[in-house]
Amino acid sequence: MSGQPNVLEKVIAFVDERVGLKTLQAKMLNEPVPGGSRWAYIFGSVLLFIFIMQAVTGILLMFYYVPSADHAYASTQYIIHEVDYGWFLLSYHFWGSSAMVVMVFAHMSQVFLWGAYKSPREMIWLVGLALFGIVMAFGFTGYLLPWDQRAYWATTVGVEIMDKTPIVGDFMARFLKGGATPGQMTLSRFFVIHVMILPAMLMGLAGLHIFLFRKAGPAGPFQGTPAELKAKTDYFFPRQIWKDMVAMAAVFATICSLAFIEPVVLLEEATPDPGEYHPEPEWYFLFLFQLLRLKIFSGEFGQFLGAIAIPGAFMALLAALPFIDRSPERNIFKRPVALIGWIAVMAAILIFTVSAIINREFLD
Amino acid sequence: MTDQPTQMSPVKLGLAVAWPAFWTGVPIKIALALLLLAMGQHPWEFPGLAFLLLLSIPVDIWAVGLSGRTVFLERLGVEPPASLGLTLWWQGAALYATYGSLACFLERQTIAGSQAVVGKILDLELLKAIPIAERISIELTAWGSVSAVVLLALTLGGLFLFGKLVQRQADSGSPTTAPYEARVHQWDLMRVPADQPLMLTVVMAVGVAMVLLLWAVMPVTTPHPHESYIKDEKKAAPILKPTEVLQKAERVLTQAETSVQALEAKAKKSKGKAPAATDKKAAAKAKKA
Repeated sequence: MSGQPNVLEKVIAFVDERVGLKTLQAKMLNEPVPGGSRWAYIFGSVLLFIFIMQAVTGILLMFYYVPSADHAYASTQYIIHEVDYGWFLLSYHFWGSSAMVVMVFAHMSQVFLWGAYKSPREMIWLVGLALFGIVMAFGFTGYLLPWDQRAYWATTVGVEIMDKTPIVGDFMARFLKGGATPGQMTLSRFFVIHVMILPAMLMGLAGLHIFLFRKAGPAGPFQGTPAELKAKTDYFFPRQIWKDMVAMAAVFATICSLAFIEPVVLLEEATPDPGEYHPEPEWYFLFLFQLLRLKIFSGEFGQFLGAIAIPGAFMALLAALPFIDRSPERNIFKRPVALIGWIAVMAAILIFTVSAIINREFLD
Repeated sequence: MTDQPTQMSPVKLGLAVAWPAFWTGVPIKIALALLLLAMGQHPWEFPGLAFLLLLSIPVDIWAVGLSGRTVFLERLGVEPPASLGLTLWWQGAALYATYGSLACFLERQTIAGSQAVVGKILDLELLKAIPIAERISIELTAWGSVSAVVLLALTLGGLFLFGKLVQRQADSGSPTTAPYEARVHQWDLMRVPADQPLMLTVVMAVGVAMVLLLWAVMPVTTPHPHESYIKDEKKAAPILKPTEVLQKAERVLTQAETSVQALEAKAKKSKGKAPAATDKKAAAKAKKA
């Protein structure tokens, strides 16, 4: 082998001299992972992967989608029926949004159970909560775009719920709808929020989230002696990257499978008359929707309580969590309140989601 | 300290092997299921199901062997037997066929029984006034809790039995004398081979091949068309061939030219004949005069 560098090496050396490529690479890959790589740490990387895939499929869909009340439905049908592989791209984008919500829940649960929100990682937790809100907003705004009955009525219900927020609710509802009923203005605004504002916000906050994470370093496992952790500690590359890659491939294959099993099929075009259709939000909002059906949450005040006050208080509690729970103990089996609280919230979400599905039989 | 072999209960031991083995096999099985779906075969219907189950056997043997060897070295401090994966797989399969079937039957009976009991309780006159949304959630919570407890107990029972099988294998193995760090290094190397670039190349090649295969077998248009969508069946526009168009135009022009010439000749002829006739008439008039 000759000692002379080849063309590629020369190009790399040229760029490295100017931007410090090797330093950047070392910083990115040589992050020590206390206690070694784990499958429990894949969720952040998988979320980033899903977002990139959503951006790619979203851009491809935008080549054909027309964001006007007259053409949104027809152009979506055109994507499904006429564009080569359009049905698959749309179905992937649709299931990708659900996968993103599932992964956000999994990521937040892992951080919560591992006690990784505690000092000095409070900022990472807070930015993560904001990212959770953005992911939910992505789902809500994207749901309207196909402009079928499902989209129209889910948005109508969602905006009505938003309207119940004190002080800003009326303004937000009017701003989003842009009129008395959802129409062209609503579609335009939802489209701009979905493809411009939210991606920009997500990219900025995700960058900040990763920066803060690298600054504080990984929290590591919540149990194990220092000797055990030291024996197992290794770098981000290659073991954690390998796990992340396998997880990304599995998530990709799962989303593709769901696109094949249950591809997007539109309902009738949106009209201000629901007809036979019973309005319902996307599955990840179903628990809240079912909660609002309970008698205790009927009436103006009840609806405010169920739709705004309780979810708002819950989010505020999550935001305040690192400042309330100041104990350095991270082992979830030694934090019974946290463990029971997490199980209770998950069980409640599960019960109310399944209840909403069972409730469909009693609507006619 | 993990320098000393850990004493693990059968349930913990069963979980320590079965849980990672399950997740190790899942990505490969999902990829196989996806390819079946792209080819229009449902992996939960025959023959797709049979194909997937058959392909899952070597995957499961490998996955159980990998997670079993890790637990043996890291947690139990025992040299794993050479055929650990195969032994644990067939014993686990036999256990699943017997205990798994029984557990499924018991769980189904529990669900049916608890649903019937809860339904009867809520049908009491006293509770009939409960609104439908509340009734659904109460019913679900009641029978769901009973079923979840039974499911948990049955799962623990299954893990206990599987743990006993693992324990039997561990008892037959010889204790390892290597220090903890060396044992960690040994099981770690089972996952990350020494030649990493080769492995990455192979993984990338397999990934690219799988993606190409997926796009090759995937239907181009939706296999689920909307019932009210009328596909625009436009006639394809004929392809323009410049030479043929020019030749055709030339032929038309030649024909037109010939026609024009023929018409001109006819006109000339008729012009030549017409004055002659007039002359004859004039001569006749002159004769009369």
